[in-house]
Amino acid sequence: MNEKYPYVTFLGLHFNLTNDIAILVSAVIVFFLLFWLARKPQLRPRGKQNVLEYLIDFTNGIVKQAMPGPEGNRFGLLALVLFVFIFVSNQIGLIFQVDAGGLTWFRSPTADPVITMGLALIVLVMSHFFGVAVKGISGYLKGYVSPVAFLAPINVIEEFTNFITLALRLYGNIYAGEVLLLLVRQLAFSGAGGPVSFVAGFLLEIIWQGFSVFIGSIQAYIFVTLAMVYTSHKVVSE
Amino acid sequence: MATLGDTLFLVATFVVLLILVGHFAWKPVTKIMTERQTKVDGDLDYAENARNEAQALQAKREAELKNSRADAVKIVNTAKENGEKQRQQMLDATTQEVATLKQNASADIAQERQDALASAKDDVAELSVAIATKIIGKELNAADQQSLIDDYIKGLGDANGVD
Repeated sequence: MNEKYPYVTFLGLHFNLTNDIAILVSAVIVFFLLFWLARKPQLRPRGKQNVLEYLIDFTNGIVKQAMPGPEGNRFGLLALVLFVFIFVSNQIGLIFQVDAGGLTWFRSPTADPVITMGLALIVLVMSHFFGVAVKGISGYLKGYVSPVAFLAPINVIEEFTNFITLALRLYGNIYAGEVLLLLVRQLAFSGAGGPVSFVAGFLLEIIWQGFSVFIGSIQAYIFVTLAMVYTSHKVVSE
Repeated sequence: MATLGDTLFLVATFVVLLILVGHFAWKPVTKIMTERQTKVDGDLDYAENARNEAQALQAKREAELKNSRADAVKIVNTAKENGEKQRQQMLDATTQEVATLKQNASADIAQERQDALASAKDDVAELSVAIATKIIGKELNAADQQSLIDDYIKGLGDANGVD
């Protein structure tokens, strides 16, 4: 991960291949994982079906915390996919990081601010869309002048800060984790302390990877929770 | 900068992922979960109903048992009463019969005594006439003397306290 990426230009749009490969790989893993878990569902759940049902209950629980009423039902699928996708994205860079020819070819997609902002954008657009769909245009606009009219500027600014913090919190955590992984690897192969630095780096890498698994899980949970809380502000009428 | 391209790529991938997961994983599993929920609800309702029915049936049976016990007591009481009544009736009838019999018997006895007395009176009269005839040696006209002797005898009876 040296901040040099392969770029291609297609239809006048620039693509960072590292990001796109990482997104694609994560999405494919998420799809096949969930697809495999959902094979042949039975009324009496067995084995892998329990895992998926637990996951669904978990993400539905996140949705229900923010939106206890029936308006939360439609967000169950989004919460599940968002959670599993971010979780897989966070972990994938802990396992694979590919640098070749002076370019970074593979790392966690969520270690890039563009991607986390893209995810936050999806949540933002969706929350505003359903805000209008559920409460109507007037109800949606009324949300900006509540509880009192002079708070409208703050409410508008809050939309941006929510968006930015949602994206950058995830990016910062994952990016920092991967940078540290890289630094530990460089320490291990620096040859400064000979075999001692290699062994120390090896152990440190294991410890940091384990901790990053924890951080990645927590961040996925936080992202989905906040996404649902922000959505509930738009959708739920107090 | 690759911001726009990557964002579009992410959004497109995410939407496709959302659709695919929704179709292949979310829908079948949530369907099964809903079915299970419905089944559990139904089973619970069914169990509740069955329990209520059993309780109602038990209450009914207990009530019936109580009723039949009361019936039995009633029947026994009626039988006892009837028996008592019958006994009383029989006793009364017997008592009455005995009384009648006794009355008849005493009437008969009185009658017979009367008859015996009457016949004894006649005999005494005849005897007296016979004695008198013997004594006087002359046959009295029995018919003429009869009333006179009757008076005597009656006087005798009164003096002896006999009716």
